[in-house]
Amino acid sequence: MIQNLIFMNGYGFFVWLSFAITLLACVIVYYKTYRTLQKYEKAFAKELKNLSAQERKKVLEKSKVAVQVFASYNKSI
Amino acid sequence: MINFINPSKIFKWIEKLLNFINSIFFIILIVGLTFALIISPPDYLQGDSVRIMYVHVPSAWISLASFTCIALLSILTFLFKVKNLNLISKSIAPIGLLFTILAIVTGSLWGKPTWGTWWAWDARLTSMIVLLLFYIFFILSQKMIKNEDRANKISGLIAIIGIINIPIIKYSVDWWSTLHQPKSINLLSGSSSIHSSMLLPLSLMLLVLLLYCALIFLMKYKTEIIRIKRKNIKRL
Repeated sequence: MIQNLIFMNGYGFFVWLSFAITLLACVIVYYKTYRTLQKYEKAFAKELKNLSAQERKKVLEKSKVAVQVFASYNKSI
Repeated sequence: MINFINPSKIFKWIEKLLNFINSIFFIILIVGLTFALIISPPDYLQGDSVRIMYVHVPSAWISLASFTCIALLSILTFLFKVKNLNLISKSIAPIGLLFTILAIVTGSLWGKPTWGTWWAWDARLTSMIVLLLFYIFFILSQKMIKNEDRANKISGLIAIIGIINIPIIKYSVDWWSTLHQPKSINLLSGSSSIHSSMLLPLSLMLLVLLLYCALIFLMKYKTEIIRIKRKNIKRL
């Protein structure tokens, strides 16, 4: 049963390689996308933090996105 | 409608959607892989090599669907000047590129045991290479051109020109004599010549890859929204 699953009557190399390439490419793209998102979130939250209290208040009042990113950043530290 | 696609309104839903997809993804992936690699029967003619279909066909469908979406969004952007549509196009493009490459590579791996060759310059394969080039030009134009408005216009134009290639890919197996087999599933009429024992794993793997696309799209879209908001802060 296991041997049959691995070798697949001589087609194992092609089948497993297809699935492995697909899986690997998907994992790499997922990881890269996730890291980029984290980098942007962090940089955005830091920029908000570096603003003066008045400026930050102004931005947070205007942008719901900024509020959420800033809130999740503060939660994570 | 335009209010509905406002990034600020969508942003709060992205996190919830990401968490939901993450929670169900691995279960569906394991079920899909079990069906594709173990439960589904081998083909009477192609043997076990038919299992490559479960990654190749969904990849090809996603690559075509992604480009069609990008082209339609580009047309809408030209007509209605909604900038948010550009963000959506930009977020879809890498997914399309990834699945075009996967469709070509897995197709080549399926071609060797079935046709006896890794590659043939026939109509379907060549038109897929053309699609890959359109994706590359689209992404490069977004990355290389510094002026964002200009980049959006040029990439939009590339997408609109590239849409001509989509029906060519789809009907290439009917119009020309090719190595590639004719279509087995007609999405418009809902008819299929594939047996249910193979159709189920194919549907499951399509669902898995669609969920994966949704994950990548949401993360990319979120990144794009944050990038725009950062730009606005710098203008203060």
